[in-house]
Amino acid sequence: MPSSSQTSVGSGALSHAYLQHPSLRCNVPESRGLFYDDANRLLICVTSSQVFSWETVTFNPDVSPSVDSIPEGPILSIRFSLDKKVIAVQRSDCEIQFFHRETKQTLTHKCKAGSESILGFFWSDSPLCDLAVVKTSGMDLFACDSAMNLRLVETKKVNVNWYIYTHESRLVLLASGLQCKTITGFQLSTAGVVRLPKFEMTLATTESNSKPIISPGDVHLITVYGRIYCLQVDMEAMLLHTYRFYRDAVVQQGSLPIYSSKLSVSVVDNLLLVHQIDAKVVIIYDLFVDSRAPVSAPLPLLWRGYQGSDTSSQQENEGTESSTSSENIVMYEDAWTFLVPDLILDQTNKVLWRVHLDLEAISASSSDRSSLLEFLQRRKLEANKAKQLCLGIARALILERRPATQVTQAIDVLVTAYSYSVKAGIYKELKNEKTTATTPTNDGASPDNERGRASGSSIDEEEEVEMNLPSGSADEQQESQLSSPAISPDELYKFVFASVEEAMVEESDYLVAIITEFLRSISAEKLKVDLNIYVMTVRLLAHSKRFAELSLFTTNKIIEPSKEVALQLLESGGQNLRVRKLGLDMLRQLSLHHEYISSLVQDGYYLEALRYAQKRKVTSVRSSLFLEAAFASNDMQHLAAILRVLSELIPGFKETSEYYTFHGLLNETSSSVAV
Amino acid sequence: MNFLRHRVVGFYEILEAMGMASMNSSGESLKLCVFDLRRGQNEGQELDKILFFYPPDVTFSTQLSVIGLSEGLITFTRLFSPEAACEVIEAERHSHVFHEAEPDIWMVMVVEKNKEIEAIWRVDALQKVLKEVHSLFVMFHGSVRSLLDKEPSGGLIRSHLYPFITDYLNDLSVGKKLQLPSFRETLKERGTVQMLTLARDAALEVQSLVGVLDSCAGTLRCHSVLLYHDLLVSTTLSPDDTVDLFTYSVMRLTSNALSSGTSSWSYLRKGTSLSQTSSRSISPQLLGSSDSLPSNGNDAGRVIRPLQHNKWSKGKDGFLVTDIWGKDATPTIWLHQRQERVHLLAYQHKCLTLVLLVPTEAIVNGELDISFVKHQVTENGTAKILKVEEKLSKGWGGENAYHVSGYRYLLVDNDMEVSRASPSGKVATLAKETLLAVNKLRETVDTEKSRTKEEKDMEICIRAKNNAWAIARVTRGKELYMALEKASDTLLDATDSVQSFSNRYCNGTFSMD
Repeated sequence: MPSSSQTSVGSGALSHAYLQHPSLRCNVPESRGLFYDDANRLLICVTSSQVFSWETVTFNPDVSPSVDSIPEGPILSIRFSLDKKVIAVQRSDCEIQFFHRETKQTLTHKCKAGSESILGFFWSDSPLCDLAVVKTSGMDLFACDSAMNLRLVETKKVNVNWYIYTHESRLVLLASGLQCKTITGFQLSTAGVVRLPKFEMTLATTESNSKPIISPGDVHLITVYGRIYCLQVDMEAMLLHTYRFYRDAVVQQGSLPIYSSKLSVSVVDNLLLVHQIDAKVVIIYDLFVDSRAPVSAPLPLLWRGYQGSDTSSQQENEGTESSTSSENIVMYEDAWTFLVPDLILDQTNKVLWRVHLDLEAISASSSDRSSLLEFLQRRKLEANKAKQLCLGIARALILERRPATQVTQAIDVLVTAYSYSVKAGIYKELKNEKTTATTPTNDGASPDNERGRASGSSIDEEEEVEMNLPSGSADEQQESQLSSPAISPDELYKFVFASVEEAMVEESDYLVAIITEFLRSISAEKLKVDLNIYVMTVRLLAHSKRFAELSLFTTNKIIEPSKEVALQLLESGGQNLRVRKLGLDMLRQLSLHHEYISSLVQDGYYLEALRYAQKRKVTSVRSSLFLEAAFASNDMQHLAAILRVLSELIPGFKETSEYYTFHGLLNETSSSVAV
Repeated sequence: MNFLRHRVVGFYEILEAMGMASMNSSGESLKLCVFDLRRGQNEGQELDKILFFYPPDVTFSTQLSVIGLSEGLITFTRLFSPEAACEVIEAERHSHVFHEAEPDIWMVMVVEKNKEIEAIWRVDALQKVLKEVHSLFVMFHGSVRSLLDKEPSGGLIRSHLYPFITDYLNDLSVGKKLQLPSFRETLKERGTVQMLTLARDAALEVQSLVGVLDSCAGTLRCHSVLLYHDLLVSTTLSPDDTVDLFTYSVMRLTSNALSSGTSSWSYLRKGTSLSQTSSRSISPQLLGSSDSLPSNGNDAGRVIRPLQHNKWSKGKDGFLVTDIWGKDATPTIWLHQRQERVHLLAYQHKCLTLVLLVPTEAIVNGELDISFVKHQVTENGTAKILKVEEKLSKGWGGENAYHVSGYRYLLVDNDMEVSRASPSGKVATLAKETLLAVNKLRETVDTEKSRTKEEKDMEICIRAKNNAWAIARVTRGKELYMALEKASDTLLDATDSVQSFSNRYCNGTFSMD
């Protein structure tokens, strides 16, 4: 391993994106080439007569590839049909061969030699066609039945220099013109084939290069948050232009700076990663926000071993030929191919990497807390980690005693995100998805399902101009078993407020202000929260002796009434009779007769208590409570009255030893009072 | 002490007959004095004890005879009740209402009993007037004793008391007469706060605004009181301080007070349009020329008169401005609970009035810091103020919001010092007999309450001459007074009505059976 790459590959250095060990190895002897079938997410390795394919969705290095035999011949490109029953191989610029994997049937499709040549092909799940063949003269759409009969459905006549297609966007862009900057686009979605308005890409000219030409490697189709963007490199201007596709328009949406003559992109968890290959750094952008500022500073892409305990052993092994890092990784080597959306194929080492994000590192380097929280709430791939980070940030904001406005903003972000995810059904739906395993193929998905999932994966609401796109990452989401990073009010109470209470008890004014904002926020979203937060609020207000406000909070029902709150009021009312009365009133209003009567007696209002018990026919309160209270007050008339009421209230009371005892006491003390 | 009320009458009548109480010399129906029992105990120095006397133009000998008599009664009754000396002396032609405002600082009000039916008062209500003027005085100037200690000659306290009480009495004057709270105001409770009932979402917005106001002066917490129209929306002060500040706000600061004369329905006794206009004409008469106030030449220079009329106005930035405390000087008041002096900033948006109290320690650089706090309020609070105003105006039920048809009521919560009553316009429709009956009823409850310190439950029903029912229910610090004028009602009907009122509007607080 060259020492220069040692530092960048080491696990200790700072990075926001990294490659994770283990990789998917596809080192087949006598390999003649590696291909990637993005529709089926298959990594394909071909030998002279065999096709090895690995599922990249599961990304399990231990699973052996499936192997198919095909006749020998040149292979320009290879793609499995969407039901994976047919393998299609482009043999030359005028011939595509199809092999049925089960019936071993073979079919050869040829185009008119000389007048046109085949640029490539892809399978489609649009209702109109199953296969699209892009030629220099245009695009042929074919229907293909189970017997592998190809039937030409439609031809789109366009002069094509080159094309790009991604299955996740279902979008094909055909480039024409001398500079290849005139783009015709078609979307072959489940809703049909839609022709997009033709548009011109922006190209700066310089004196040295007055007619720059766009090559297919300069254009990237990405799908983030259910939106489709086209990114185009303008090397003369050193800009990466972004275009967003709407149903009836293509709108340029700003440009990102380029710091390298070679550039590629990945999309991880709806974030755009621009690899500045010469500079060996990656810059992360979140196209969701209007700002085109990067999420974080440019940092190298790193390689990481197993997480946790392995990290230390990794460091010890540095410099030696470690068993786990047998491949000689050189970051951003020429032989790297960037695959849609987040894979990197290292042709030299014959390994496939997946790009990961280090959310922790990204949050650590961000200073704007509420934007960071918004950012984390949009994460889906590592929802749990994002959630934990959010909770940590919220706690830290409070513990660091940040200005209340800042904390409020942060809380609003979390509450709004939760409310949105509940309304959109993501919060619950995703939990369901975990249990119901749907096949990640096209067959099962009806247009409705696809659409629903697409909107589910998008936080954006601009559906009026949004194309109905199946979310390409839906499969991936299932794979990573995610739930939403949304945090429910109960969780906010439990993991933020309750957990900081002890530390903040001397700053209860501040904490109460924050809790009020939290309550306001959830009330605005019509959400509910664990009633213990009200108990806590009572405790905090009483602690700082803010009795007037405690009373306001209670009468205005900012503190929602409950038995727990009432009991806390009684307890806190030890210092303040007014507060105790608030608790008593609450008990009465909640018809908690037993607690109300017991508390009245405890306060010495035993006559009122008994009257209330008599009125409500409450017999659960120990009769001795009243009797003892009356006896202690030394008022024998009261005692007599109580004995009489109890005799009426409780059947058989006169037979109890209690009656006997107190009746005796009464007679001893005063013979004049009749019972 | 109550038994003394009656015993002493005889004693006083003897004095009156002896000519010692020459009350009628000035022809005024009201006399009000403040005196210090610790002063002027030596012969020839009696004048020392007089701190304030109204009307001011009576001779010293008259003043001394009133005060001497009061002092005698206090000394005499203290023999029986050292803790609480006399509260009231009822004589044939006068009522003497006593209030020991501070230890040995006494306020005495002497009201003439005449044949006019309007001159029927409740002693407790008159005492509340004395309490109110005193606690307002303390809020602005500190305690009477502290001013006496500051300048033992008494010049300082006299120069403060004189304009203050005179300005206060101005608010009570109607035409050329001072209008004391008569039986017509029996369904009102002075010295309490009237609150706006808030929906939960509005309350949360309000509290959110309060949170912002709390931190307007950095780490030192600011207190605040919010009013909408003349009703309290929120407070972070203790009930006592809230009452004082609320009273002052409704008198001088709220949108109704500023656009003086437009409010004719206010819950408080704050002058109606009648007294507002008339007070201006009467002012010279009461005060003499306002410029020729005794300045006494002490170092304080000028005496601050916070109760002067038409001294507050709304500035361009929404903050209320006044020159009462001097040009460009920010008012300060004294908070009883916290025993600290604070700066008072008032901000108004439409009918929403914010009173912000900034600790003096937070204001190191004078007006510079004040404008910083103001900036904080507008910077951080404006959006919330607009939101709160919007919510409140949406939920605003108008002047008759708390009218319950068929009922005329007064609800008092002594713990929170809060009251709510039928709107005055509705109370005015009651027959005189009914009001007199309620007045009588309230007197009875007052007596009962002062007899025992313990909080007692009680219920009293009185049938008035016109067959109306006057009903009082008292339970654990809360009081409900009610007038029901449906003559056909039986006692059972009446108590049923109270019951359903209690259940519907008081959370069942007064549901006794």
